[in-house]
Amino acid sequence: MKCSRCGAVAQVALPSHHSGFCPDCFRVFFSRQVERAIHQHRMFSQQEPVLVALSGGKDSLSLLRELVLQGYNVTGLHIDLGIPESSPAARAKVEAFCAALGARLAVLDMASEGVPIPAVKACVTRPICSVCGKIKRYYFNKFAMDNGFAAICTGHNLDDEVGRLFANTLRWDVGYLSDQGPSLPGRDGFVAKCRPLYRLSEYETAAYAFLSGIDIHVAPCPYSKGASFTRRKELMNRLEGESPGAKLQFYESFLKNARPHFEAAEDRGGVALAPCERCGYPTSAVVCNVCRIREKLG
Amino acid sequence: MPQPSPVTVVLEREGRTLVYPRLTTAHQLLNRLELGVNDCLVIRDGELLTPDRKIRPGDAITVRTVVSRG
Ligand code: SF4
Ligand SMILES: [Zn+2]
Ligand SMILES: [Zn+2]
Repeated sequence: MKCSRCGAVAQVALPSHHSGFCPDCFRVFFSRQVERAIHQHRMFSQQEPVLVALSGGKDSLSLLRELVLQGYNVTGLHIDLGIPESSPAARAKVEAFCAALGARLAVLDMASEGVPIPAVKACVTRPICSVCGKIKRYYFNKFAMDNGFAAICTGHNLDDEVGRLFANTLRWDVGYLSDQGPSLPGRDGFVAKCRPLYRLSEYETAAYAFLSGIDIHVAPCPYSKGASFTRRKELMNRLEGESPGAKLQFYESFLKNARPHFEAAEDRGGVALAPCERCGYPTSAVVCNVCRIREKLG
Repeated sequence: MPQPSPVTVVLEREGRTLVYPRLTTAHQLLNRLELGVNDCLVIRDGELLTPDRKIRPGDAITVRTVVSRG
């Protein structure tokens, strides 16, 4: 297979785009998809300060690299969860990556915030991943708001987005369907959220990470139950295999034709939020979840 | 007659190594593994192989599944 742009030997075959690319041209393709996502959804300008949430995985590191190379005003934010089996390695990797790239990095330590994940796990009855996810989102948002960032970017890719959309659609979950999308504007107490990799599949981000020398291996979190989304993703991939481009089309059509209706419905009957009595960040309770956990761990 | 050297395939995610006496193309390898073109990276000597690429006797190949946990 020859590169669709320059005719050299292709290394990446993309049936969804009826193309194949050599490493250099693939990186150009990747950059353009990111640019297109940012412009089409008016995510942020070159000057506005934005945060990139860095877990240490290939998606978030690829995103940071791309935004830095494109000249955006980005800062990485890593949350050290305080899990002895995985956090030190993830943190060291993020720190080394940012240093090599010359990118600014902030690290928030959950142990210093009074919510190290192993202790949280011991005191909650709900599945730890849902609580851990809440804590991470809370601190990402709080850090962005407290420090005047215009948006927080995450490394969600097309497969993450389509998998979630598919799940939300199977349940016709109006609340989630009303605000799923690559760009969620900021509102009272919430910073804007952006997903500049939403046009790129998991395969494309993996290929980008490989070709850019981003080493992807980190010790997995010991609480990770493995691939929970995988079945749904397999189903979507089978659809994609039979009709290349189906995933992006399903997602883009949702944004264009369906989401506005769910937004309107949610406006009529959504949950009201008010500032948390302790920390001031929005919650549907009097004291927010994170403050309650922090008090419990006291 | 000397036997051609086999092809070694490391499945990175599973931590397993498979040995095939003979493989013709990356496409054939994907079929054997029941994987689609965009389900994994097929890596040889620091390069990615598209499905049409030939596989030679003695090749050492790494297959990195891309579907993430989570
Ligand atoms: S797998 Fe670990 S890091 Fe990920 S959400 Fe669950 S507890 Fe948190
Ligand atoms: Zn090329
Ligand atoms: Zn609070």
